[in-house]
Amino acid sequence: MTIAVPNALSRPGFFQRLSFANKSDVFTRVLVIAITIALLFYILLPVYWMLKTSFQPNQEIRVLPPIWFPTETTAHPYTNANRLIPMWRYVLNSLFVSVTAAGISTIIACSAAYVLARFRFPGATIILGLILLTNLIPAITRVFPIYFFIQNMGLLNSYVGLILAYVGFSLPFAVLMLRGYFESAAPPELEEAALIDGCGYFEAFWRVILPVCLPGIAAVAIFTFLNAWNDFLWASLLLNQGEMKTIQVGIGDFAQEGGGVQYVNAFMAACVVATVPALVVFVFVQRWLVGGLTAGSVKT
Amino acid sequence: MTRQKYLFCYLMVAPAMLITTALGIYPMLFSLWMSFVEYDLLRINQFGTPFVGLDNYVEVFSDPRFVQTLFNTIIFTILAVAATLGFGLLLSQVLNANYRGRTAMRMLVCVPWFVPPAVASAIWMWLLNTDRSPINFLLQDAGLITSNIRWLTDSATWGPFSIPMMSIVAVRVWNGLPFAVIFLLAALQSIPRSLYEAAEVDGASLWQKFWYVTLPMLRPVLAILITLLVIGGLGSFEINYIMTGGGPQNLTNIMAVYSYQQAFSFYRFDLASAASGMIFIMTGFISIFYLRSQLKRVA
Repeated sequence: MTIAVPNALSRPGFFQRLSFANKSDVFTRVLVIAITIALLFYILLPVYWMLKTSFQPNQEIRVLPPIWFPTETTAHPYTNANRLIPMWRYVLNSLFVSVTAAGISTIIACSAAYVLARFRFPGATIILGLILLTNLIPAITRVFPIYFFIQNMGLLNSYVGLILAYVGFSLPFAVLMLRGYFESAAPPELEEAALIDGCGYFEAFWRVILPVCLPGIAAVAIFTFLNAWNDFLWASLLLNQGEMKTIQVGIGDFAQEGGGVQYVNAFMAACVVATVPALVVFVFVQRWLVGGLTAGSVKT
Repeated sequence: MTRQKYLFCYLMVAPAMLITTALGIYPMLFSLWMSFVEYDLLRINQFGTPFVGLDNYVEVFSDPRFVQTLFNTIIFTILAVAATLGFGLLLSQVLNANYRGRTAMRMLVCVPWFVPPAVASAIWMWLLNTDRSPINFLLQDAGLITSNIRWLTDSATWGPFSIPMMSIVAVRVWNGLPFAVIFLLAALQSIPRSLYEAAEVDGASLWQKFWYVTLPMLRPVLAILITLLVIGGLGSFEINYIMTGGGPQNLTNIMAVYSYQQAFSFYRFDLASAASGMIFIMTGFISIFYLRSQLKRVA
């Protein structure tokens, strides 16, 4: 190990195959490490800056040049944020809408995904194609008619209207992901055995397949929850009055009003609050990420 | 037996199909129809919605702001896709290599994934605040700049590029990078080790292994990823809408924001639909090609 690299990086393992490598590999490795460090800075700085600001008292934020490592921390911005916007109420709204939408779309998606994964029937390819198309084409191309549709039903500025929009928005994604899961996780022998035993098709699905696939279904439910939780576009259109707003719209309002530097720690506190629930459920689905995300797109 | 099976299949798929049609396919087509009629909320009671052919498209294309917006959207998409791919390829290699602390690295790289786009916009607005941006102070300390960069408000342009556009692209890439990295990592893990071993026997350098083994093996996955990123970029909305609202001087305006503003600020749902119709045509075209190649592989 004759090259000069930082100690931590010259551990065995990192350069385990260095002896094989030629001179240009050393250069490549150093370059890759340098770019990776720069990228890590890019990836982590915004999150650190949000957390830091949300715990900083006002007088420290006003200091120039900005303080990188706060000497004093306070939870005051969190209570202050709730005074400026009804933050906790917004979080509850978001939770309610997202959980309901995730529940409904997962149940509907389950039955459709199962038959699309398992049976060949006339029209199955077309149905699958339409679902894929709806999943791919951006939401902005269908917001206006849906806005009028919800308005005509008198559901503008109601939870029901937003939940309906979320179910429509998340369903194609949930169907595709679950279809991939059913194909890979549930062997066809399972319900073949049940059918021979005299089960009906629905009974085989309900009693045999669903219990086996519960973990995957839970993961899909969490993903649809995240879709709804993260959404800004639909919520800003369909539910933008008073106390019923979702937290993402609350953040958007906060951003648009500007608020100035004196409120920025409260603003960042609201951002932390709007991120934490997503983070918590994210930890649960972590190990499903790769399989789940590729299921919908790679294997159709 | 077959009839019973088909009946079961259709019953099971019916609710999903009903919702996908009512809240997906039908609104998309209705939106397209709106772009061919007059749909001005301020005139609709008096004049209804007469068919006007391509007039709405002619009207938006004669608006220089729209043409600029269309170019912005394309440049925004190209820059964001290119940066996401470049960074994604590099980081997925790093996360796939063998070293202590790899799990921690994987988690750190995934951090922006669970930040909602509205929050990502909010954080970056504060981080890029002209007078208080830590990045400006770092650059000043390094002697690279003499006056603060106005990240989101500088209206100087270099051809189609401007500082606010770059900032917005940086936020978009930041938010979307983890998805690309994990997507590519999954693909890297499925490349057989024997290919690399064979290359090593032949004395290939790291770069050669990447160029002659990794990239060719990644090609199908890269095609999918690029398609998804391009479609996502063309329909992107939240970050531009929240951070700049399309400004300064329309420099960061993109199609979805233009469409949204035409609809809900000026009540011109016909022009809004013409703009979103452009997104529909572009993304629909790409999607159809994508679906054909995907469905062919299944059949």
